[in-house]
Amino acid sequence: MSVLAQCGYGRGRKIEQGFHDDVMHGVILSPRDERRDRLEEAVHQWCPSHPQALVMFDPQFYAANLNNPRDGHLSEYDYYNNNSGLGRTHFSGTRIQRYVRECLDYQHQTFGRNVAYLISPTVLFDAFRDSWSQIALNMAVESADYHRDLSSPQPLLISLVISETAFQTMDAVEEFLDALTEIDTQGFYIIIRRNSSSVNNAMESGPFGRFMYFCHVLTTINEYNVIVGYSDWHSFLLQAAGVTHTATGWYQNLRQFSLARFQPSRGGRRPRKRYSSAPLLSCPLVTPELQDIYLADLLPGVLSRSTYDAIIRNGPAAGEAGWTDETACLAHWHSLNSLSEHVSARPTQKARIEEAEHLMHNALTLYNQLSSQNVSFDPSTGPDHIYEWQDSLQEFRALSGL
Amino acid sequence: MAVPQLTIEHVQAIIPSATDIQAVERCGQKIVFSGIIDGKKYALKFMAPNPTHAGDQDRESLDDVTSRAQREVETMQQCSTPHLVSMGPIGLSTADIAGNPIIYFSEEFVEGQNLYTYLQSSGVFSVAELVRLALHISEAVKSIWQFAKIHRDIKPGNIMRRDINGDFVLLDMGLVFDLQDEPLSVCPVGTPYYFSPEQMDFANRRAVMNFRSDLFSLGTVLYEMATGCHPFTQGAASTWDVLGNIANVIPLPPSTLRPELPEKLSNIILRLLAKRPALRYRSIDLFQRAVAEVETDGGV
Repeated sequence: MSVLAQCGYGRGRKIEQGFHDDVMHGVILSPRDERRDRLEEAVHQWCPSHPQALVMFDPQFYAANLNNPRDGHLSEYDYYNNNSGLGRTHFSGTRIQRYVRECLDYQHQTFGRNVAYLISPTVLFDAFRDSWSQIALNMAVESADYHRDLSSPQPLLISLVISETAFQTMDAVEEFLDALTEIDTQGFYIIIRRNSSSVNNAMESGPFGRFMYFCHVLTTINEYNVIVGYSDWHSFLLQAAGVTHTATGWYQNLRQFSLARFQPSRGGRRPRKRYSSAPLLSCPLVTPELQDIYLADLLPGVLSRSTYDAIIRNGPAAGEAGWTDETACLAHWHSLNSLSEHVSARPTQKARIEEAEHLMHNALTLYNQLSSQNVSFDPSTGPDHIYEWQDSLQEFRALSGL
Repeated sequence: MAVPQLTIEHVQAIIPSATDIQAVERCGQKIVFSGIIDGKKYALKFMAPNPTHAGDQDRESLDDVTSRAQREVETMQQCSTPHLVSMGPIGLSTADIAGNPIIYFSEEFVEGQNLYTYLQSSGVFSVAELVRLALHISEAVKSIWQFAKIHRDIKPGNIMRRDINGDFVLLDMGLVFDLQDEPLSVCPVGTPYYFSPEQMDFANRRAVMNFRSDLFSLGTVLYEMATGCHPFTQGAASTWDVLGNIANVIPLPPSTLRPELPEKLSNIILRLLAKRPALRYRSIDLFQRAVAEVETDGGV
């Protein structure tokens, strides 16, 4: 497994630098966030220079059934612009066929072999038994059928955008899996819609454990590729569950998906600078948290061992000015990738789960050590999310029998 | 509808070209004879339709016996694999015996032993035979599923091992469920001991049934042929208990009952018996690949 870049507004040179530094291995593009001509040009540039990179285009069709979405550049795309503002009644069989055709044709004809996968259109749903989930399933089946008839297409990923609340009920999860695994496709691109957009807000243990199981059934049992978008620190747990790749971006709204991304901006302050610490499985604030760790002479144990550490190694407060958004993003990809490598180096799924447990145990030990040296953390830094993950992993183990 | 009362003489009168006619068995709504036609032996199957609609070829107005026979014949004509019984020279036809309408057709006569008889007499299969059985019957399921159909009655009594080459053949497509056609049953059909969990959800069968239901039944057969024990009869005093076990009980791994069974094969059989279809195999190719690995790993 490797980490992919979840693109959003303000791409800048991050992708090129990420490829150069070998800290991420692919890109999921966001048509909402950049001009169509620039996006298409970028895809055509990346492919020859990074032939191994997994480049994908998330059509973000799900914005079409949101209420007055802030959909940015999506209106430049015919597959979206022709179909925005859709209600339940706009998803008859014939209409679904048209949405699928327009969306897949655009990707197939525009990008050809410059993308690794075609991604199907979908709608967001809140529960596995609601009418929107049935529409999402119908779109998935139609996409697989239409894809089969395309001439030499890239493989298809069925996209799903599911609210975290959908994972409250296990029966419904299993029913949906039964239906999903009937689809003949290469895999799935899954986005979990979070109820909150606040920093480091771990999913509740039960639903997250069930989501891990959901991914396990798709990947380990049914041998689909699964890419989970808008992912973050919990990526290593998803990998232990069998997920093929996760994607994460530079802003908080590219690390966990919420509808706030499609709603009018409420403004706010510029976020404080954070450092991505693989050993802590979180992002402490550069000041005061990382500075306090430095003063307690415990900084080496918290660093992720990347070349970017040179900026803050001799004093986070002093290095803060040089810790740019781009550096923070590259360092974040590096940290997530290093955790992925730890987990994927294990030969069996059971060993990968044990490695994930080991990483969490080590992180908690480190938090305790820091606490004993009077280093305190903002609740958004941790370590409560790790306890939640430990419970999630227990739930997953119980469900999967691993 | 009762099984038609036919004698060898009746059959001879209905099919004058047949020679060496012999009674084979009565089963369900059918009576089966064998006979030689153009030098080759065939099974000749006879059923009594609802007399009201006999001879009417419009499916919507046909009785269930005729509709089922029509689907059975149609499925045999569509599918082409040596692991599924094939059609004989006589398609679905009608006759009249003493004022009683009869429908009949011919199919390949498979010389061999069915697995039910084998279980009674010889016990369990070797690992090599289990692998062949899994590959051959899954090939038959695949062939039927190509046409969005499910066999629904995979059981030892419906599987023959050919004397000539040891190949396994799936028989009796009289209960085939066609996802693309009108339903023919008003209640669950098949053999309860070999039902899949979703086969009991009759009201939703169109939504929940697919080839993975047949894989479950194949799993039950493989379990029996591997261990000599049915996976769901433990503690069961009635058919309802067996159905309850099918829905709720996870059987012991076959390797615990037969330790020399390769772990991989034991796991494959157990996976076929998963309660949820999503936990079995999403394609028959994946299943066959897993079974073939038992062979390449030296388990055979």
